[in-house]
Amino acid sequence: MSQLLPYLGVASLLLVVSALWARQLFLTRKSRIELIVSQKREPTSGSSASHRDHGERIFDLGDWDFVSRNAPSEIQEMFLRERAILAISWLRRTRARISLVMRAHVAAVGQIDDLHLATELKLALSYLVVLTLCDLLIAWIWLRGPVRTRKMVGRTLRTMSWLRGAFEQLMARVSAEI
Amino acid sequence: MSLGVKNVEIEPAVRDLRNRTLARLPGDVSRLVYLASSRDLNTGRYSHDGIAFHFSENVASKAMAACHAEIFDRLVYCSLEELIEELQSYISSTAERPGDVLQSWKRLGSYRVTIPSECDEMAAEIFLSNVKIALAILQVRQESAF
Repeated sequence: MSQLLPYLGVASLLLVVSALWARQLFLTRKSRIELIVSQKREPTSGSSASHRDHGERIFDLGDWDFVSRNAPSEIQEMFLRERAILAISWLRRTRARISLVMRAHVAAVGQIDDLHLATELKLALSYLVVLTLCDLLIAWIWLRGPVRTRKMVGRTLRTMSWLRGAFEQLMARVSAEI
Repeated sequence: MSLGVKNVEIEPAVRDLRNRTLARLPGDVSRLVYLASSRDLNTGRYSHDGIAFHFSENVASKAMAACHAEIFDRLVYCSLEELIEELQSYISSTAERPGDVLQSWKRLGSYRVTIPSECDEMAAEIFLSNVKIALAILQVRQESAF
C-alpha cells in the first residue's frame, strides 16, 4: 500500500491542477468582457513609479525605526495601522494582477492545439504558490501587523519576487511559443 | 535630477521648467504644490505662460505633467523622515502660521489634490498614507514646542 502513496500524491496534484485549469477556462470565457474593461483601467502613465516595487516601499523598516524612535505611542499605532492597510491593499492588487495575467494566458492557450504540458504545469504550480503566499501574508498581516511579522514578510517577499520572476519568465516563454 | 521623459519633443521644455521655475522653489513639496495648482481641475491640463510662449501650450502642459509625475515619484519613495523635512520646509516657506497650515492640510486633506492624474493607484495610496503620518508627527512637534 505504501508503495502506491507517491503515485497517489502525483495523481492528486494533477487532479487539483486540472480542476483549477478547468475552473480558470470557465471563468475566462465568462469574464472576457470584464477583463478587457479592467485592462483599460490600468494606468497608462509613463511615470517611473509604476515600474518600482511598491512592496519594498511599504515594508521598508527605515520608516518604522524612525517612527518608533521619534513619535509617541498613538502615532506609532497609527503608523502600524496605515502600513497594514497599505500592505493588504498591495497584496490584493498583486494577487489580482497575477490572476488577470494567468486568465489572459489561459484564454490564449485555449486556442492552440500543441500544448507543452510540463511548462503549463510549472506555470500553474507557480501561480498557485504565488496566490497562496499572497493569501497567507494578507491573513498574517491582518492578524499580527506588518512590523511584528517583518522577518516573515521579508522572507516571503523575496520568495514571492523570485516566484513572480519565474512566473513572468515562464509566461514570456509560453507566449513566444504561442 | 533625472527625468524619465521619453518624449524628445518635451525635453527642452522640461529642462526650461526645471531650471527657471522649479529650481527656485524650496523643496519637492513646494514644487508639487506649485505644479498641482497650475493644473486645471476640470480638464487636467497644466498651464505655464512662459513655457507656452517659448514652445506651445500642449508641450508646456506635457512638460509640467512629466515634472509633476517625477516629483511625486520622488516623494513617494523618499523616507518618512525626508518627507517630514520636505513638508516642514514647505510650511515655513508659506506666509501662514505653521499651526494653521497643518490644521488646514489635516482637516481639508488639501494634499489630495497634489496627486498627478496619471499616477499609479498604489503610489497614490502610499503617498496619502505617508503624508497623513508626517502631518501627525509635525503636529505633535508643533504642540510640544509651545
